[in-house]
Amino acid sequence: MERSFAAEVAKLTLGEGEVFHGEGILAVTKALLQSGVSYIGGYQGAPVSHLIDVLGDAREVLDDLGIYFENSASEAGAAAMLGASINYPLRGAVTWKSTVGTNVASDALSNLASAGVKGGAVVILGEDYGEGSSIIQERTHAFAMKSQMWLLDPRPNLPSIVAAVERSFDLSEASSTPVLLQLRIRACHVHGSFTCSDNRPPRYSRRQALEKAEFDYGRICLPPSIHAQERHKVEERWPAAQRFIREAGLNERFDGQGEGAEGARGLGIIVQGGLYNGMIRALQQLGLADAFGRSPLPIYVLNVVYPLVPDEVADFCRDKQAVLLVEEGQPKYIEEALAAILRKAGLATELDGGEAFARAGEYNGEVLLKGMAAFFARHPVAAAPAAQAPLAQAVAERVEDASRLGRLRAQAAAALGAPVPARPPGFCVGCPERPVFAALKLLQARTGPLHVSADIGCHTFGTLPPFNIGSTVLGYGLGLASSSGVAPMMDTRVVSIMGDGGFWHNGFTSGVVNAVYNRHDSVLVILKNGYTSATGTQAIPSSVREADGGKEAALDIEAALRGVGVSWVRKVPSYEVGTMLRTLEEAVSTLEGGLKVVIADGECQLERQRKLKPLNARRLQAGQRVQRTRFAVDDGVCTGDHACVRLSGCPSLTIKPNPNPLRIDPVATVNQGCVGCGLCGAAAHAGTLCPSFYKVDIVANPRWWERALYRLRQAAIGVLAGRARPLSQPAGAFQ
Amino acid sequence: MMQKPVSILVAALGGEGGGVLSDWIIDVATALDFPVQSTSVPGVAQRTGATTYYLEVYPQPRAALGGQQPVLALTPGPGDVDLVAASELVEAGRVLQNGLADPARTTLVFSTHREYAVAEKMQMGDGRYDGERVFDAARELAREVIAFDMRDIAWRQGTIINTVLFGAMVGSGRLPFPREACEAAIRRSGKAVEASLRGFAAGYERAAARSQAAAEEREAAAAQALPLPAEVNAALAALPPPVRPLAAEGWAQLVDYQDAAYARRYLEQLTQVCAREREAGGAGAVGAEVARFLALWMGYEDVVRVAELKTRGERLQRLRREVGAKPGEVLRVTEYLKPGMEELCSLLPPRLAQWLERRAGSQRRGFALRLRSDTVAGFAALCLLRGFKRWRPRSARYATEQAAMRRWLAAITARLADEPAAALELARCGNLIKGYGDTAARGRRSLGLILDAAEQGADAATLRAAREAALADPAGLALSRSLSLPEPAARPVPVRLVRRRQEEDALTS
Repeated sequence: MERSFAAEVAKLTLGEGEVFHGEGILAVTKALLQSGVSYIGGYQGAPVSHLIDVLGDAREVLDDLGIYFENSASEAGAAAMLGASINYPLRGAVTWKSTVGTNVASDALSNLASAGVKGGAVVILGEDYGEGSSIIQERTHAFAMKSQMWLLDPRPNLPSIVAAVERSFDLSEASSTPVLLQLRIRACHVHGSFTCSDNRPPRYSRRQALEKAEFDYGRICLPPSIHAQERHKVEERWPAAQRFIREAGLNERFDGQGEGAEGARGLGIIVQGGLYNGMIRALQQLGLADAFGRSPLPIYVLNVVYPLVPDEVADFCRDKQAVLLVEEGQPKYIEEALAAILRKAGLATELDGGEAFARAGEYNGEVLLKGMAAFFARHPVAAAPAAQAPLAQAVAERVEDASRLGRLRAQAAAALGAPVPARPPGFCVGCPERPVFAALKLLQARTGPLHVSADIGCHTFGTLPPFNIGSTVLGYGLGLASSSGVAPMMDTRVVSIMGDGGFWHNGFTSGVVNAVYNRHDSVLVILKNGYTSATGTQAIPSSVREADGGKEAALDIEAALRGVGVSWVRKVPSYEVGTMLRTLEEAVSTLEGGLKVVIADGECQLERQRKLKPLNARRLQAGQRVQRTRFAVDDGVCTGDHACVRLSGCPSLTIKPNPNPLRIDPVATVNQGCVGCGLCGAAAHAGTLCPSFYKVDIVANPRWWERALYRLRQAAIGVLAGRARPLSQPAGAFQ
Repeated sequence: MMQKPVSILVAALGGEGGGVLSDWIIDVATALDFPVQSTSVPGVAQRTGATTYYLEVYPQPRAALGGQQPVLALTPGPGDVDLVAASELVEAGRVLQNGLADPARTTLVFSTHREYAVAEKMQMGDGRYDGERVFDAARELAREVIAFDMRDIAWRQGTIINTVLFGAMVGSGRLPFPREACEAAIRRSGKAVEASLRGFAAGYERAAARSQAAAEEREAAAAQALPLPAEVNAALAALPPPVRPLAAEGWAQLVDYQDAAYARRYLEQLTQVCAREREAGGAGAVGAEVARFLALWMGYEDVVRVAELKTRGERLQRLRREVGAKPGEVLRVTEYLKPGMEELCSLLPPRLAQWLERRAGSQRRGFALRLRSDTVAGFAALCLLRGFKRWRPRSARYATEQAAMRRWLAAITARLADEPAAALELARCGNLIKGYGDTAARGRRSLGLILDAAEQGADAATLRAAREAALADPAGLALSRSLSLPEPAARPVPVRLVRRRQEEDALTS
């Protein structure tokens, strides 16, 4: 990570009464410092990477407070860190992307939840669900339920989020239970403001050490402790949590107010805190709330979605005919729990849940408006007192208009006639991973289809067009491990993919060590770009960190491979498609058994450009020689078959109208985004495509003799060149 | 009834500065003391994919709100967006497609240029989405449309598209911000301020003037009518009207490709097809397709042609422009060529070529050549190759191409009388012939299979389906299925694949 977060770090030092402006996840970071945490850990992943990035640059702030911070090797490592809070009154927080990170962390989380905690233990979860998500769609809710951890889902404004972080530690300590705090992706990225309080130095810290080590067999995961722990969960911790939630008022109840409150009294809305703003917007659209969220309808906001507080719920529902539950995702855990609470309380209140909205998927503006309009169509706001007739009328009209708005999508589809082309994220311009997939594609043109076990990382984009390489993706670092069942069943060698991030996360043990130990005969391609690039280019053990002063990477992948007995290892520069193709061909066809590893070596271009650009700008400014490289296409030579695009997919390799009026198909062209990585040329060579590519090295501020030689050559070439004439004659010239 | 927040949806591509644009809006609102909120779903979308930023601004100073906080939404909804700003044509289409433009409320501001999606670029023919569809839908579904080529303006002003887009958003009048406050925010951001302000001003003025997208002034290459020889004019005049402009273009290109005699042969063959078509009562539809594709086929790409195109005077000028070289900068140019046995053989006389090809067998992969064409020696080598032009009519490639053309023309002519629609389809199949190496071989193979089918009496619908299938996948699977033929061999260059050695060792030991 070469980016600097100095501006963000400065925000972490704001004091009492000062106003913080910024992103949700950075507000969480500040809230942790205001909560007196002793230690913080985590593993990067959108949308919580920013927390780790900023703390990584905030050494001074952390040292002042005595807080220990580490960028953990995996989510499992981060979760295990919370073990510090089991025996000692240490507050700690860790973070990762859910649900994938929670899956990785689940062993430690279960043990943590069973043992219980003395110091507040909080997990900040980036709930990557819905539009723009890059992971499998599941809810974290299930984890909270199965392990008896409490799950917070605060209203998505900065003051509420910050308060939720601070109260999470109190809740955790009051109930001896770790707390999960989930923030949806948009809440992590929401920009807003809150009024700060001072950072709080932790009671015990690196400045104020613990006096003595503690042993308590009751905290160990062996019988009989485990049975006592389970009883403790349901008999002590659960009621304690419910008591705290009620007394601290963590859930919020807004009674109906203003014009129309009388008529709306028989109805109510229960909403997950994170969906509050969207729900209010739908009410506004239906004429049932003002700009500040004041509504005639009573609203109960679940800032704690697990556990529920049954008497609070029953109390809210008691005098109501029908209650609308706004719960996102599936299964509908809250709906089921509410139904049970109402039944046990003997209440006849009608519960309207998932059916009104959607069984699956994000509750965006469209889903919320549709679902809530449907609710008010079935349960009209009563017009009992004559004074309320206009409101009831207005709402009925708005409900009608909502159905018109619901048809806009269909209307647009009809007007467009054909759906617009999809534009999923893909490899960046100049990405070193793209050429590896070009080589794999060329390889399969010769060998026929091969089974490719793909992995998590930027390289997962290899599964998209134009490559469509990768038959399975089973999890981060699991590319090689997921080949072990299919490889023995295949007629041809199976190829697995792994990034260097995945390698250190767990791929080395679950993949490489397992393959060597079980004597697999297969091929592993490790994409070594130096960072966990998909999460925002964080450093990994094999990163070369110039910031640390050292040129050498801390850990070496090749040495690790050889150390566990992999003898067939080849390192190939990523952009050399021809060499890569030959190496892969050898790997799938050699008579040598065992695991064969090809390390594709090329630094993440995003990070490279981040370093290079300012450097070159400075050199240019100073009048120094700077060379840049661009690729280009001769548009008269290109015939518009686009085989090059099918082998590259580079965003900067695109198309434009054919300059030849006789030709119909657009020709290839390289746009201004080109960073000169060389893939176009290498692919044209390796794939024997066409002679239209050329490379231009452009030298700014050339030395005098370079300029002289160039002029001389140009003069000679000018004489040799054919006469300058347009490629095609203007049509219709004969008249 | 009540003051509503102004809601703004920005649709952009990763790397276009949508985040910076959001920051400007937040900065302006904050400076005006308006409550503001922005959200985004960047995630991996920052990597070149489509992405959106959503902002809401409550257009009243906090001081006037008495401590009340407006509740602002985190996602856009139908009927709830005031201003959509899209940095590209299809992204505007995507917003429409998602039902987020309301004819009663939404102003749509977008750039009319295209950034093609991989799905469009990777097709073997023309896979571009028809942009007119977006304009049609925008007119129907937006309250107002402001659209012009913002990328072009950004290039000219030396800035990034987000500055022009910001200017256009403010110029639309739908943001509750005065222009000066926005310019102040750009100044505060401190990066490339002057260029950004130029881009902003240009976008603002175009939007404020509501100038139409169509008013793009393109400096069309001055079309000087070249005088054509009288005999050519006479030959062209004898052709059906729809054929004439294409034939004139074809004639000119073939004179350039070979010589006037070669171009005359083109006109003769074309004239024959047109005569047959006229006899069959056709108006020149088939003739027009033949005029186009026969010219392209006769001007097939060989190493001589490539060398000629790469050594033209005008290329030397275009090259500097193409890569954005500034005056005073020195260029080094490297051509990526990979001549193989096939290219070499195609230049030899037919019999020698056949002999050599038999000897070489499957060793066809060629050698990778990086030729420096900015050096005198490298450029001279290309010029030498260019000199083989006069030799071309005696080459093996010439003979095979002419034979293949004759077969194609014969197939077209044969169908003109009984099924002109089939003849038209066959004429359109000329577009399969293009490219180099494997691409060219595939095109020849595809056309051959379709002509086989035509000669066995396939009807127009079958031929059309086959032509489309030929452009569906490079392996030719769809074409084979379309013509009910066995699929082509999956392993043209078999690699010996080794399986489970250790296990087999264990079993045999």
